[in-house]
Amino acid sequence: MDPTQFNRQILSVSDRLFRLAKSILRNAEAAQDAVQDLNMKLWEKRSALNDVENVPAFLLRSMRNLCLDSIRQQREGDELPIELEFAEPNPHQQVEQKDLVARIRSMIDDLPELQRTIIRMRDVEGMDLSEIAYITSLTENAVSVNLSRARQKIRQRIIYEQKCVEETVWKE
Amino acid sequence: MERINNLLEKYFRGETSLAEEAELKSYFTSNENVNAEHEVYRALFMTFDLEKQETPGISISKVYDQQKSKNFWIKTFSYSGIAAALVLALWVQYPRQEKNYAIMHGRRIEDPEYAQKYAAKKMSDVNEMIQNGLKPLRNMEAIKENLRSADKNGTLKSEITESDKNNNINN
Repeated sequence: MDPTQFNRQILSVSDRLFRLAKSILRNAEAAQDAVQDLNMKLWEKRSALNDVENVPAFLLRSMRNLCLDSIRQQREGDELPIELEFAEPNPHQQVEQKDLVARIRSMIDDLPELQRTIIRMRDVEGMDLSEIAYITSLTENAVSVNLSRARQKIRQRIIYEQKCVEETVWKE
Repeated sequence: MERINNLLEKYFRGETSLAEEAELKSYFTSNENVNAEHEVYRALFMTFDLEKQETPGISISKVYDQQKSKNFWIKTFSYSGIAAALVLALWVQYPRQEKNYAIMHGRRIEDPEYAQKYAAKKMSDVNEMIQNGLKPLRNMEAIKENLRSADKNGTLKSEITESDKNNNINN
């Protein structure tokens, strides 16, 4: 694979790679570094890309694995809790995050890594279940189950927050 | 309305197709008059739509600039290494290809027979010079030997004289 072909392949998915990395790492700067890191690694092994059938899916899968390795290394160093699933927003946050879009983003970020990766691959990127299964190394059925769980959790959360807002309005 | 309700239920169960999901997204993001009971989900589909527009914010070419610079240094070091290896190889190889020769009075002699004869003659000259040079030393050695024996006799005489003196005192 020559540099022009390589550039074309990477550039075609660079935005998706960034969004996936940002979703997993929950940090834009760390995501930019991860994308650059992946590009460097792929450049060194670019000849192997010739044998890959679905290059965009392969790149996304590599991106996810790289991000998970990075989280694992960070956890070993910092001994952070594994996942912060649906942390209850305090009143200050409720006032601060009035913007529902920002709140929903935060809700998705609070999901376990696999669920937030799957919901974004499907609902943001519009990817096929088989592609998501390849990227996450799961069966299509497992992807479907995780997607359903992620959507249900977000739905419950939205309804709950809506109720909280209505109650606050009534009290006032 | 009923269709959207059904689609939403199907969506939250994770059973919608990509086409059905596209229909829902279109309803929530392109439609100004979303039904009040669906309003609660509008932000969800708006979020997906906004997230899709998100980009890294930095040019990906930065990576290739770094790569190019890295490649430049790799190439420079590789070529320098190859050049150094070639110079070393030539330096090692070159004397082996040369004929043996000797320098005599500033003249380069490549005929081995002539050089051997010349060397043998010079060695014989040197030998003769050494022999002649050692002659005075040999004479000196002979003189030293004579002196040593003379000295020894002298010591003996002095010892005899000393014992004679002692005898005379005792008497």
